[in-house]
Amino acid sequence: MGPAAASLALATHGLHKRYGSRVALAGLDLSVPEGVVYGFLGPNGAGKTTTMRLLTGLIHPDTGSIELLGRPFGRRDRRRLFDIGALIESPAFYPYLSGRENLRALAATGASTPANKVDELLDLVGLMDRARDRVSTYSLGMKQRLGIAAALLSDPRLLLLDEPANGLDPAGIVAMRDTLRNLAGMGKTVFVSSHILGEVRQLADMVGIIAAGRLVREGSLDDILSGGAIVRIRIKPEEVARAVAILPGMLGAGQVSVQSAESGWLSVEADAGRASEINRSLAEAGIYASELTAESDLESVFLELTGGAPAADGERPTFGAAGVSPKGSP
Amino acid sequence: MRLFIAGLRKLVRRPATLVSLGLLAGLLSLILVAVGATARSRPNGAEALLLVTFPGAYVLILSFILGLGGLISLVYGAAVAGSEWSWGTLKNAVARGESRSGYVLLTFASVALLIGIGLLVAFGIGILMGLVGATLAGVSTNGVTDSASLGALPDKLGRSWFAMVEEAAFGFAVATLARSQLAGVGAGIGLYFGEQFASLFLPDIVKYLPFNAAMAVVVNTNPGGGGGIVQRLDPGTALVAVTAWLVASLVVAAAFTERAEIAG
Ligand SMILES: Nc1ncnc2c1ncn2[C@@H]1O[C@H](COP(=O)(O)OP(=O)(O)OP(=O)(O)O)[C@@H](O)[C@H]1O
Ligand SMILES: [Mg+2]
Repeated sequence: MGPAAASLALATHGLHKRYGSRVALAGLDLSVPEGVVYGFLGPNGAGKTTTMRLLTGLIHPDTGSIELLGRPFGRRDRRRLFDIGALIESPAFYPYLSGRENLRALAATGASTPANKVDELLDLVGLMDRARDRVSTYSLGMKQRLGIAAALLSDPRLLLLDEPANGLDPAGIVAMRDTLRNLAGMGKTVFVSSHILGEVRQLADMVGIIAAGRLVREGSLDDILSGGAIVRIRIKPEEVARAVAILPGMLGAGQVSVQSAESGWLSVEADAGRASEINRSLAEAGIYASELTAESDLESVFLELTGGAPAADGERPTFGAAGVSPKGSP
Repeated sequence: MRLFIAGLRKLVRRPATLVSLGLLAGLLSLILVAVGATARSRPNGAEALLLVTFPGAYVLILSFILGLGGLISLVYGAAVAGSEWSWGTLKNAVARGESRSGYVLLTFASVALLIGIGLLVAFGIGILMGLVGATLAGVSTNGVTDSASLGALPDKLGRSWFAMVEEAAFGFAVATLARSQLAGVGAGIGLYFGEQFASLFLPDIVKYLPFNAAMAVVVNTNPGGGGGIVQRLDPGTALVAVTAWLVASLVVAAAFTERAEIAG
């Protein structure tokens, strides 16, 4: 194994997984370097949770391979998980035990865990006041906090968190972000799936976007954002044709597309910084934009890559199809 | 070891544990006291009085515990195994790198220990209530200290424990295959009554099945002195059958969990 591979906390190669006849992963390749916060994004049904299950040995790949902490991970390598903390899908606890008792019960499994760790973590996730209450009396966000504490129990080198922000209040989200950034600062790796793109933007160093069980984009957040800038403009429908004629001239190769001729929406591939420039040249031609948004953000990249772009031609936006194929893939 | 102790702690705190024991001890107490209070004034009362007449009452109380306790053990075993799937707590342990079969077997070991404790507690309460019943009925309680009966008790208690553990293991395995607390408990109870029902038609086979064999480990006459159709196995054969069911149930539960895809 080369030195490059040794510095990866997590890697998958051609991971395939079916549930019965339904394909959940169709050749997933991921490379997560050590010490980063990696945002794992994808629409509903894209295979995020399936990936997390594979990485924790809950299920096994049909084909393909996994490397965890620099070494291959197979059926016989369960002890590798001693160095990994995970929160997969919804947190799971004994409802009749208290939060503290649940963490203690969990500490009796897997890697040995110092006794004082439980209270330390209850404090960290802000559950100290409720530590003696039964988990069945916890709110959604409190269970989620306990799930995060459970993932941190064995001081893991690699954290796998499946939508950890689920149900957290704003203070909880900020606290979680700080915690995860701290952990990354200590050299630990955080692999976190999320739907909250704004959250990922603030949290992650790197992003991987999957759709229909395949990686469609992976890279540093900066790289990904610089590639996907889109300015959306709304003008009078009768001026659409004229604007389409003017804009390419000022933008060079930048692509202009009509999203909805009836409602006058255009989208232009350009950095957000050029939005005012675009607005000015349209105004000089007597075309005044009624709305203009610079979507130099993860959302547009995400929607573009996962085939969930805003509906064109006056259709109202929909939820999209869960687990749809990414654009341009067979 | 820490896993076994944690398993015990989880079970002790579980409401179902106390409910099971309470149900068993409560019903037993009710019957013994009721028999003691009313037997004299009823036709056929003399036969009922045997239940509170020591030393014979020892075995009768024990077989009552075995009969109802067996069903309760089955349900309890099924609930413990099934809830690990329903609640997702098995997933937690596996994702932390715990051995799947080790976790399953240690969880069952704590069930088995608690059944032993429950059996002793229920039996103790049963003896006390039997004495109360005897006093109410005006039956002599001298037989309580009968040394031959007392000497045979440890062996009988041990056999009862083993039989109930087998029944719990059967429920445990069924619920593991069902991957669900509710389905496991339901299927377990279904099989229990299915076995009783089948004894009408297939007595030769049914005597080897988990619940009949379990009963035969301790009592080799039919409870209530006849009326039952199933000829019980002799205690030696019953012990072999029960051991086989116990081992098979645990192997099935462990092997299934070892190979299962945990994607719930
Ligand atoms: N236990 C299961 N049995 C059968 N199919 C499953 C199971 N779990 C997931 N799937 C299917 O696998 C595909 C991927 O699901 P997965 O849960 O990995 O998606 P996800 O990216 O986590 O979605 P979400 O954002 O909604 O959590 C989906 O088509 C889903 O229906
Ligand atoms: Mg998911």
